[in-house]
Amino acid sequence: MPEITYRQAVKDAMVEEMRRDERVFLIGEDIGTYGGAFGVSAGMLEEFGPERIVETPISEDAIVGAAAGAAMIGMRPIAEIMFMDFILLAMEPLVNQAAKARYMFGGKATVPMVIRMPSGSGTGAAAQHSQSLETILMHIPGIKVVAPSTPYDVKGLLISSIRDLNPVCFVEHKLLYKEKGEVPDEEYTIPLGVADIKREGSDITVVSSGIMVHKSLKASEILADEGISVEVVDPRTLKPLDVDTISKSVKKTGRMLVVHEAVKTAGWAGEIMASISETPAWDYLDAPMRRLAGKDVPIPYNPKLEAAAVPQVDDIVQEIRAIVHNKY
Amino acid sequence: MPTPFIMPKMDMDQESVFIVEWLKKEGELVEKGEPVIIVETDKITSEVEAPASGKLAHILYGENVEAPVTEVIAYILAEGESEADLPDSGTQTAPAEEVLEETEESAQPKETPGKIATPLAARMAKEKNLDLSLIPAEGEKITKDDIVAYLKEGDQVQPRVKTPATPAARRLSSERDVALDQVEGSGPRGRVQAADVLEAASDQKAKFIGIEPSFASGETVPLSNMRRRIADRLTASYQETPHIYLTVEVDMFEAEQSRKRMNTLAVEEGSSPISVTAYLVRTVAWALKGHSMLNASLTDEGIAVWEDINIGVATSIDEGLIVSVIPNADRQSIREINQKLRYLTKQAREGALTREEVQGGTFTISNLGMYGIQSFTAIINPPQSAILAVGALKRKPIVVDDQDNIAVRPMMIMTLGVDHRLVDGAVAAAFLAELVKAVENPEYLLM
Repeated sequence: MPEITYRQAVKDAMVEEMRRDERVFLIGEDIGTYGGAFGVSAGMLEEFGPERIVETPISEDAIVGAAAGAAMIGMRPIAEIMFMDFILLAMEPLVNQAAKARYMFGGKATVPMVIRMPSGSGTGAAAQHSQSLETILMHIPGIKVVAPSTPYDVKGLLISSIRDLNPVCFVEHKLLYKEKGEVPDEEYTIPLGVADIKREGSDITVVSSGIMVHKSLKASEILADEGISVEVVDPRTLKPLDVDTISKSVKKTGRMLVVHEAVKTAGWAGEIMASISETPAWDYLDAPMRRLAGKDVPIPYNPKLEAAAVPQVDDIVQEIRAIVHNKY
Repeated sequence: MPTPFIMPKMDMDQESVFIVEWLKKEGELVEKGEPVIIVETDKITSEVEAPASGKLAHILYGENVEAPVTEVIAYILAEGESEADLPDSGTQTAPAEEVLEETEESAQPKETPGKIATPLAARMAKEKNLDLSLIPAEGEKITKDDIVAYLKEGDQVQPRVKTPATPAARRLSSERDVALDQVEGSGPRGRVQAADVLEAASDQKAKFIGIEPSFASGETVPLSNMRRRIADRLTASYQETPHIYLTVEVDMFEAEQSRKRMNTLAVEEGSSPISVTAYLVRTVAWALKGHSMLNASLTDEGIAVWEDINIGVATSIDEGLIVSVIPNADRQSIREINQKLRYLTKQAREGALTREEVQGGTFTISNLGMYGIQSFTAIINPPQSAILAVGALKRKPIVVDDQDNIAVRPMMIMTLGVDHRLVDGAVAAAFLAELVKAVENPEYLLM
């Protein structure tokens, strides 16, 4: 299998779907000549033209509103929000219109749209361009939230998201664009709502997504030398959440740590822990479930503080050690 | 507020200590810094000092028992305090961890530091044995209402479960029919973990099968940590190390003459007489310099040949056996070694050896000559590769020259035990020959 970047995998998914289905189009800021803020759509304008690579004024409200409307009349829009932080400007069309239409019209209208949004810190972009706001989106019924961690996952999941009949918020961590991985040439899809065990282990289950999957895997390597066997579960889709896979893993290991970059308070780690405590896995827990998440602060501009604000490999190592050795 | 007496942690990976003796009884007065308990860890017996001055109370762990470290083992009552001031007083079953938690809570900043109480509130607090400093006040003074509210709140914070346990431990306890309150928890604050239940379950099974001793025993002496450690280490060494033994008889005539002269000088100088052991330590160290395989250890990576020559000397003490170490014995004079040995023996008998004084040995000498033992074999002290067992000096008629003349000489039998995995018989023999040469001709040490 050829190795490609996460960025390339996102582009390939969009290009292949646009070739396959003429209803699919891309809408957003600077996505044409400039190729997108992170270069994802570079070259797409040349292939598909301005009719299908729709550049908009600086208005997220307009991007999402237009995409939602287009979806309702039968198109398959992919909207690109330059930074996830800006989705807040489009909450009205997303939350009150796109998320509700299918329910309010008894299924007569569907809203098959994808909103792609780069999230997270690590690029020195400071507080207004570094947030991880997926929990806010997860809270809204009618929206699916996908956050892939590898080139393979991102391509398969983006294709599934484009074909899904509901609004899908597609979260791409900025630091992942350069990440390389094997992706098959032939067409494939990954169903939404199915978690993936990224590493098998027996002592503790670590649930993490996006960039934190990679950090958790590095931490697992370090801990393996100490005889701690870590299972890393990547939900891939945060909503709907594959509680079953996580529950089975926790039943096996008896311990769970949830790691995410989003701030801890009301973050999705709490949601996962609550879900697990409602499953039979509860009776197999041999330690309190714990969260390792972003500090409750806006992401700082200073690079040292920026790194300190979100979980790093060393933090994950220490937290797992503490849980496994009952030292917290 | 009574001061919790917390068992200190003396070693990084230590979980418990063995309480040998309480030097003070419940109710006795102790001074801060005064030794109160004698405890035994893996190797060392040491004293634990009182954390505060006052009356010793509520001892939770008696003598000859294991006590967990970093947990409360007793309390010290300040003047005017009584048992009633103890957190959770009266309940014998209250595990230490709950007590600890409460003291931790109360250690948090109070809402009303130093607030004074109304006379009524003060009287109520006295009657109920409440610590006024712990009672939060609504207004500027602690009032009757504050006391009532505090008492009511106190009623409410009873723990929901008596035995803290993880969900997995609870499930297993019901599946395996193990009573949770009978299980000793190894988790934080004594919480019962799944592994604790499994262990208890297998203990239960063992009991059921009946591994009771079938013979009448007089008295069962509890295994001290030291005894247990000796047992474990020596069993492992005996089972895992293929020992071979080489025995020689040494003529100690010259050595004894030399020792006599040294002792005359020592007496003149006012220092202590040189012991045979000190003389042997020096000689063995000298001989080891040319025979590094006997100053080595077998490791997973290969044979570690030690640069330093640290001679361990086995010393018998009441509780068992301890090997104290003379570091760099090849670079010390006999007088220095002698002084050190006397000091170490004294410390060992008093149980006051420090960790440094028993670690790092690369070769061990065990001398049972003082008991009149002629010769014996010894088990290698892992991870070392050799041990020298020394018997008593015995005057015997022997042939002393090639004219077959017989003389009476002080003879001594030495048996060298080596780890055959890294030391072959010939290598051991070469070392032993070198050693005999130096023991019989002390001048070699000067050359």
